[in-house]
Amino acid sequence: MWPLPDVLLHAMHFHMWLDALFKFQITGTYIVRLILEGLLIGVIYALMALGLTLIFSVLNIVSFAHGEFYMIGGYVVYAILHHYKGFPGLLAIVVAALVTFVIGAVFERLFLQPMAKGQVERPSEYAILITFGLSFFLQFVMLGIMGPFPKKAPRFWSFPKIDLGFIRTTKTTLFLGNIPLSGGRIFAAIIALLALAAVLWFMYRTWTGWALQAVSQDRNAAAVVGINPLNMNTLAFGMGAMLAGLAGAVLVTVFSWVPWVGVPASAKSFVIIVLGGMGSIPGSLVGGLILGVVESLGTGLFPDPARAQAYRDVFGLVIFALVLWLKPTGLFGRKL
Amino acid sequence: MSQNGTIRLEVRNVVKNFGGLQALAGVSFTIEGPQLVGLIGPNGAGKTTLTNIITGLLKPTKGEVWFNGRRIDPLRPYHIARLGIGRTFQVTRAFRRMTVLENMLAPGLVKHPYMSRKELEKKALEIMKFLTIDHLRYEMGSNLSGGQQKLLELARLLMLEPDLIILDEPFAGVHPKLQRTIYGYIQRVRGEGKAIILISHDMESIFTLSERLIVLNFGEVIADGPPEVVKEDPQVIEAYLGRDDEEDLI
Repeated sequence: MWPLPDVLLHAMHFHMWLDALFKFQITGTYIVRLILEGLLIGVIYALMALGLTLIFSVLNIVSFAHGEFYMIGGYVVYAILHHYKGFPGLLAIVVAALVTFVIGAVFERLFLQPMAKGQVERPSEYAILITFGLSFFLQFVMLGIMGPFPKKAPRFWSFPKIDLGFIRTTKTTLFLGNIPLSGGRIFAAIIALLALAAVLWFMYRTWTGWALQAVSQDRNAAAVVGINPLNMNTLAFGMGAMLAGLAGAVLVTVFSWVPWVGVPASAKSFVIIVLGGMGSIPGSLVGGLILGVVESLGTGLFPDPARAQAYRDVFGLVIFALVLWLKPTGLFGRKL
Repeated sequence: MSQNGTIRLEVRNVVKNFGGLQALAGVSFTIEGPQLVGLIGPNGAGKTTLTNIITGLLKPTKGEVWFNGRRIDPLRPYHIARLGIGRTFQVTRAFRRMTVLENMLAPGLVKHPYMSRKELEKKALEIMKFLTIDHLRYEMGSNLSGGQQKLLELARLLMLEPDLIILDEPFAGVHPKLQRTIYGYIQRVRGEGKAIILISHDMESIFTLSERLIVLNFGEVIADGPPEVVKEDPQVIEAYLGRDDEEDLI
């Protein structure tokens, strides 16, 4: 039998989707579930994008190695929990944050500081090449150390037994009514929320946070009031790397980890900062949530469920293209 | 301040070239002790370039800058600021996405890292009160008018407690009422024993406030002395008004 042309296949899938919708297989509950799942993952996207925003706004460069810090954060937690049974999981996440901070700060001092000091002839091109270089370097180093096969860290938490009628738990799942939510994602989102709150507090309530903001707004004006922009660069890159590392550290118990796991994560961060507005902290938070929800709804409502996951990243890229086309400054960005 | 308690800025034969353009052609002068020095010159004379070199934002092509016995031209701007040289910019550069109070506290904590937040806020509030912007302390910098942003920049500067203050066009584009506040500010700061370099195109204020005038033209010092003497200097008159023979050509 001749295969059906693609266009007919798509029409059939769309028909099946409409059919499902009208038979109430796609219910309100299902939509709510998709939105909640999207928000949970969106918080982690926001955490990662906040790191990229911090780097962009203070150093004025886009780090193409951002996803690799996410990857390293996950591997650090995996390695610790795999090799040291009984090691506290939360402590492993803290170690991952510290490791990624140190790698980021050392890299900035060694390779980006010459650019900030004006010792590099073509800084923009240099920044692109050096962060791409770091990205490949970290991927291949981790490929050498961890191998190409997927790893997943063991779960180190479980829900206490709760039964309040509407809210119920099993060890790994939370039920809101009849909506099941993955405990892994909830746990990751809670850690991410705490980290976001800590970073926002740091940025808006401490001197170092003001100094970072001052440098991001006007380097020379900050320097003439005594703030050392070079130190702020190191801190911002270290913190940015740490936030990506944290995002990876909390997700390694949810997803399988491979050395190139950071590539799509990095792409999502770029989508978010474009959506939210380059350099905008509120933009990266809102952008992360929007991307999470759009991806979740897009995948969950895709006419062909068998292909839905494969198209997950496409939704983000569609947003990326639309924002660049319709509102290049993003939601909270300033005029270009 | 220097070890003997006086303020001393020495600019020694400073040259600055931008490609083929010479912005400063061997500028030398010394400012010693608390005094208010007016730095004037026509547009493009090199005033802002000189200011940028003194505060480390530009490196001189040749020459040296010394402050209180220490060579500062190789240092970075933040280091020079911490040594006691503060400045404002011709076009105001307040941190627009921070509140007025945060704008004040950021340099305050550079100067006094161990001072309690409460004490620092008190100090900031006193300065803001003097400059009549205390009611704006929780406003974002971007919500302030141009004149208010000038006042904020001046207030921020005092948090750093510099010995030498360089004010680049503090009166430009400011409402007359706010200009009077800035006048008061300059007189108060001068009274506190600080040295001030005042750059302004407002000749009236320059001649009223300055104890000494340095005139730059085409990157060179063409006059240096008391205002009443400088005012009569033929080179200065020529730089500002042009030569008679030029007039004939028109």
